[in-house]
Amino acid sequence: MNPLARYHDGRVSAARDVTFAITRDTATPAIIIADGQTHDVIDRWPIDDVFEVHGLANRLRLGARGRPDGARLSLTGAPLVEATRKLLPALKNQQANERREQRRLIGIASGALFSLVAAYVFGIPLLARALVPSIPPEWESQLGEATLAQIDQIIGYQGQVTFCDEDPDSLANRAIDRFARTVLADAGSPFTPDVKVVAAYIPNAFALPGGHSYYFSALLEQTETADEFAGVLAHELGHVHHRHGLDGLISTSATGLLVGFVLGDMTGLSVAGGLGAALIDTRFSREAEHEADAFAGAVGARYGFDPAALATLIERVAGDNEAGRFFQVFSTHPLTVERRVALEQLPKPPPGLRAFGDEEWTAIKLMCDRFS
Amino acid sequence: MAAGLNDSAAAPVTFTGPRDEFFGRLFGGYLLMLPTLGVYRFWVTTFKRRFYWSHTVIDGDPLEYTGTARQLLVGFLLAIAFFLPAYIALFVLSLFAGVIGAIGYVVVLGCLWFFVGYAQYRGRDFRLSRTLWRGIRFDQKGSAVAYATRRFLWSLLVVVTLGLAYPFMSASLWRYRYANTWFGDRQVSFEGTWRTIAGPFYRAYAVVAVSVGLVVGLGVTGNLRVFALAPVAVIVLGGLALVYWRSREATRMFSAIRLGPARVETTIKARSLFGQHLAFGLVWLLLVIVAWFAGSAILAVAGGAEGTLAGIRSISTNGWASAALVVGGYVLTVGAFSLLSETILDFGWWKLVAGGSWIVNVESLGDVRAIDEDRSTLGEGFADALNVGAF
Repeated sequence: MNPLARYHDGRVSAARDVTFAITRDTATPAIIIADGQTHDVIDRWPIDDVFEVHGLANRLRLGARGRPDGARLSLTGAPLVEATRKLLPALKNQQANERREQRRLIGIASGALFSLVAAYVFGIPLLARALVPSIPPEWESQLGEATLAQIDQIIGYQGQVTFCDEDPDSLANRAIDRFARTVLADAGSPFTPDVKVVAAYIPNAFALPGGHSYYFSALLEQTETADEFAGVLAHELGHVHHRHGLDGLISTSATGLLVGFVLGDMTGLSVAGGLGAALIDTRFSREAEHEADAFAGAVGARYGFDPAALATLIERVAGDNEAGRFFQVFSTHPLTVERRVALEQLPKPPPGLRAFGDEEWTAIKLMCDRFS
Repeated sequence: MAAGLNDSAAAPVTFTGPRDEFFGRLFGGYLLMLPTLGVYRFWVTTFKRRFYWSHTVIDGDPLEYTGTARQLLVGFLLAIAFFLPAYIALFVLSLFAGVIGAIGYVVVLGCLWFFVGYAQYRGRDFRLSRTLWRGIRFDQKGSAVAYATRRFLWSLLVVVTLGLAYPFMSASLWRYRYANTWFGDRQVSFEGTWRTIAGPFYRAYAVVAVSVGLVVGLGVTGNLRVFALAPVAVIVLGGLALVYWRSREATRMFSAIRLGPARVETTIKARSLFGQHLAFGLVWLLLVIVAWFAGSAILAVAGGAEGTLAGIRSISTNGWASAALVVGGYVLTVGAFSLLSETILDFGWWKLVAGGSWIVNVESLGDVRAIDEDRSTLGEGFADALNVGAF
């Protein structure tokens, strides 16, 4: 009595219960498939053409080359499957070959992706640096104007920000403008700075591409010395001078592309993709922070302020509460140990030289008093 | 309904997949995605399909998935070549200010929305043309562009009508998908219309609309104490309505599928589906609590005697450690969420649909003939690149 199996011929969707036998004594060893009831031979599969297709643990599904794609002989039950496997040793080799082939493919694809990541990590900063100088400053200024409208929409009331001191000719505004213009002009930057001290509850300062910079009243409230104020301002102007906004835009796009490769979502529209890209990007912002700090250091040595005051201010703002310290992990201006050390190692200003006079600093410090 | 099907002509669809085995293999696959930077996901997808297909038994014979991971990989690479220009276009547009930038963005996002439908259809084609039952291949004909166009225009109408047009869109798309599905030389037909699902849909819609309306009303009248609890009530009610709606839609739509004299009868109970979502929520909550305690313990050790917050602070001020912390936490969270939702929600959904289905007049499927090969590898790549993959 030959064992029972299920058979589909791959041409018609009928399922047949069949018996099968494996013959090895003829010139071409074969699986002989016969009808379960009538015992008429239905087909003969030469065992060299037989291959295994995926099935469950206690099943064996076989197909044969030269037969229709869907032709299957399906065996159920561990003892029968085991006995049949013993009679068809070639299946084992096929499986081993298949596994080797899959591993090779995984290896090649992962290797390619790894080299892509390496190219990204080392290449994109270089690429961004190389691209930025070839993008005309006017274009970057336009980009800044576009962002400006959005920022005003976010922090202002009905798209209108509230200036702490509306008079452009006040002592404070003139001092800030003189400082910013001289710093950028001396650095040979093509941009014209425009520093806005505005009323806002968040202690922050930032620069947009093309020269627009913001200093929030909540930060000014916590700023205690002229050195701290000049340090922050010079740091932000450093971002403008090094064109970090544009740099960051190029890097962010490249990161999005890479995360798309890894997660499989090329559009980056998914939350996971967007978040991943944002996180990896902190790497670039750290480098940019370092450059802006160095810029502030050079400015400080020339105009007279101690760049280490910047660290004191960041610590004071972040140290307000424990939660603030925790969120430093996610901040774009984290005061890491390395950064603090680097800031303290920058050259100290020559004695006697001052970025802002006493009267000027007093005027600046009082700019936002009516909002506190 | 099942009681009336106990004649010899109705065959049950059974799903025999053990969840623990599925979870174990999936977990291993997720771990392998780390050293391969995600490349292994094509193998994980192939494993999942083989698992689902081979454990789904219709009238004694399981489905067979014949697709390979290599095909998915190749499809993805081809799709990337297509999406790269779109990606660069988005980047360039982000540099433009004002009207040009805004219009450009809308156009590109519209194109992507269109391509989501295209990718879904091509992905379905890929899966069906690699699905065998009793040695006969399924296939998806029709045009992916035509399908994507329908979906695009319908979705605009749905937005304009605040969702009220949804049953019309759903019926139209189900019909297009199934009326163009083939099993061998036999064409599937679809008998559902918007009326098939109108009742459950508008009931669920009314529940959501009324509860949102009540919240707005309470907010306007200034009853603030009640108002504070209202969002929770809306979320619970909305979730229940959604679960109810999803179970009804699947029940009625799957039951509208015909294959000559044979037809599908599906029953999915809303409470079973709700149970799955509840289980998912509870397991996730448990995991978050465990992670919180484990994290606190580790940080307390790292921070020494100063305690937890000092521990966080000492790590946050160290550049590389904080970056590693953030990226590691991100990968862990996304991975755990995806693993859980695949093991509980996706697995549960397949089990409900397959286990709740019968094929009436199954004997009429005995003489379907195979047709020629039609195999494209590109389709699934688009689905992956647009993140619209299903099973």
